Amino acid sequence: MLSQQFDLLTVALLMALLMLLLAALVPWLLSVTRPKPKAVREEVVELVGCPVCGHEISRKYEKGDYVGKVVGTCPRGDGALVVKAIYVEKYESPK
Amino acid sequence: MDGSGETAPYLLYLLLINLVMIFLFWFTDLPQRIQLQRFASFVRGKLYVLEEMEAGARRKAVAYLGTVGVREPSKVIEGFVDNFFFIWPVGIEPTDIIRRLRHLIRTRESSVRDYVKRVLDSAERSVQYSVETVLEVVSVLRLLNKLVRHYLELGLKYNNLILLQYLVFQMPEIVEMARAYANSVDAFASGVPIGDGVGPLVAKMLVEWREPQREIVEGTDLYEVEVGGRRVYAIKASGPGSNVGWPGEALEKLVGELGGAVDRIITVDAALKLESEESGEVVYGTGAAIGDLGPEKIAIERIAESYSIPLDAILVKMSEAEALGPFTKKIYESVVKAYEMVRRTIVEKVKEGGTVVIVGVGNTVGIR
Repeated sequence: MLSQQFDLLTVALLMALLMLLLAALVPWLLSVTRPKPKAVREEVVELVGCPVCGHEISRKYEKGDYVGKVVGTCPRGDGALVVKAIYVEKYESPK
Repeated sequence: MDGSGETAPYLLYLLLINLVMIFLFWFTDLPQRIQLQRFASFVRGKLYVLEEMEAGARRKAVAYLGTVGVREPSKVIEGFVDNFFFIWPVGIEPTDIIRRLRHLIRTRESSVRDYVKRVLDSAERSVQYSVETVLEVVSVLRLLNKLVRHYLELGLKYNNLILLQYLVFQMPEIVEMARAYANSVDAFASGVPIGDGVGPLVAKMLVEWREPQREIVEGTDLYEVEVGGRRVYAIKASGPGSNVGWPGEALEKLVGELGGAVDRIITVDAALKLESEESGEVVYGTGAAIGDLGPEKIAIERIAESYSIPLDAILVKMSEAEALGPFTKKIYESVVKAYEMVRRTIVEKVKEGGTVVIVGVGNTVGIR
């Protein structure tokens, strides 16, 4: 009788312990199974173009540049090359 | 010996423990106290994150102020963050509230400007504007931290579980807002256009990136171009420093100068998107698209109403982080769509030979 009751108590305690362990493992399991965000590389680029002929190129942003700044003359004509926009371009990094 | 005599004490202990637990959890405030401490612990953790953000923003601000020639930048920041508060005018007597509000906003603005000029006398105006904005951002982060700590300590002092629970539910939004502000320091310091600059960029595209015709009111430029046989005036803040200008006052002055001979006013601005909306969505409607405290918006509405000029609004939807962060490619593509929408509106809704005013509302950092 004692051994039977002791066994029941042990089993109950072990089950409680197992459930506690599982509960503790849930956050870890969730973090492991969650899809990892892809590594992204960011680069600030500027769109430089000629408002007269529409010629446009995208290049790396240079500190001190701003939208509307004249940065040269158009290679296709006499118009001025101005910074038309500055924005962040995102690229997925290779694994 | 069947062992029941040895089992009995265990069962008795279990029963006793159960009774004590039932008493503690059903007839005392212990569960609420435990919950209160759990909530407080959560808020303390987030407060630590907020303090780290503020410290990071301060470090960046110190570095930026150092590069533009401010001596003792830490002292300058310290002298700014807890001062220059703004007391809202009396609201229970609404007569002339807009005039009073406008007066207080201008007074505060000029106090801030004087403070920055004192520490940065020789710098050009666009740099002064950007320094003002960086100081304001650090000030906002300081205020957020102070408010969260205030409610945390208040909740603990009066064992106010509901207050702390509310704070716990609000924390993710507060942290996200603080992150957006903390990250914006980089954009303001480097001079890269931010999402809130969609209005000024649309105006700049419409005038084909030309230089302004004149400064119509302090910190606000006026441009004049022709689009499809229509005379188009564009108003935007003077860049490329961090500045929003006074678009309402500028519009009031321009329409007054033109004697009210304006066929349409189109306002373009960034707007915070709902969670269910896509970033970069471009929508149009009616009204003044501007998110100021009131005086600029009411100036636009009043001048449009007094001359019966139709008032259109074009909005580019984005999150707070996008509005305060550098332009993303997606937002830039939306600017192009908004620009096309403005051109279409001009051609479709204004007769040839007519006059239109475009107001590009928003922060013009990085946009001349």
